[in-house]
Amino acid sequence: MSEARWREFDWRLIHAGPQPPALHMALDEVITDEVAAGRRPPTLRVWEWASPAVVIGRFQSLRNEVDPEGAARHDIEVVRRVTGGGAMFIEPGNTITYSLSAPESLVAGMSFEQSYAFMDAWVLAALRTLGIEAWYQPLNDIASHAGKIAGAAQMRRGKAVLHHVTMAYDIDAAKMLEVLRIGREKLSDKAIQSANKRVDPLRSQTGLPRGEVIARMIDTFRSAHGLADDAASADELARAEALARTKFATPAWTAIVP
Amino acid sequence: MANVNGVECNAAMPGHGEYKMPGGKLVVADVEIAGDRLARVAVSGDFFLEPDSALDAINAALTGLPRHSDAEALAAAVQAGLPPDTLMYGIAPEAVAVAVRRAIDGGAEA
Repeated sequence: MSEARWREFDWRLIHAGPQPPALHMALDEVITDEVAAGRRPPTLRVWEWASPAVVIGRFQSLRNEVDPEGAARHDIEVVRRVTGGGAMFIEPGNTITYSLSAPESLVAGMSFEQSYAFMDAWVLAALRTLGIEAWYQPLNDIASHAGKIAGAAQMRRGKAVLHHVTMAYDIDAAKMLEVLRIGREKLSDKAIQSANKRVDPLRSQTGLPRGEVIARMIDTFRSAHGLADDAASADELARAEALARTKFATPAWTAIVP
Repeated sequence: MANVNGVECNAAMPGHGEYKMPGGKLVVADVEIAGDRLARVAVSGDFFLEPDSALDAINAALTGLPRHSDAEALAAAVQAGLPPDTLMYGIAPEAVAVAVRRAIDGGAEA
């Protein structure tokens, strides 16, 4: 039944060249709203990062999560996304990030827990073909025996659902700890001792270049659900660029939870 | 009476409390106390909440409550203040209450 749901849609792939962090935040909003309005088919967007960033969740305190001196020292931009969840440390080439924007009928009738696992079932299948036994770890993580691989965040926007995921490919854990304040309380219920193990790199587990992991993911999605190559339209891109400038790159938004 | 930057004021130092909800996400509360009341409450964390304006509703519902409110009373105030269509994942009124209590208690000791 669940496979049939995916096949009800004409899935599109957007995989553009490197783009700035604030533009990625804006593209998620614009593309999901276009899907909600019925103007765009459901879309898988694979992100490429033009520069390093810390991406904090919609409800996280900027002051509590980010070390401003560490971020400045490493020239790392801080942006806030529209979804909840935790802070991510991004350097171009060290993470694999993607978004799914789909009509809410894709996850109709599912609990949050079910919809998170459902939206990433194809990723677990792709990882399995690369020799990684991974599973969905509620609430919003993809994990393997070696540690956490990815974190997901989801929200409903009008008649659409946005689900986006950042996977750790080759995180510089030492640098991450200089930039993020990772609370002991947060780690208290995890069976792990160090923050390093929370971002176990995909690179060491697959031995493959990042581009090959992404290619395998796209192939897996395409053969399971169907996927036609696409790009953001000129209008979508123009709206996202405006939104990046007027919202996501502004201190008013980044510090909306100070 | 506290002295902040040379200015006498009634507000105590802000208290900071954190609570990792079992099976849920981290809820953080930063709380300022004036006299016997919560003068300002800022809840944050890596939870999921829709609509996002519900965060302001939670802060507003807690602000002004007596500082000795127990966790049950704090949770009831949060629940009563939520917009009717609120969706929560990884957070609950009871978890917010625990974080706020920890902030008050920690702030009192500081």
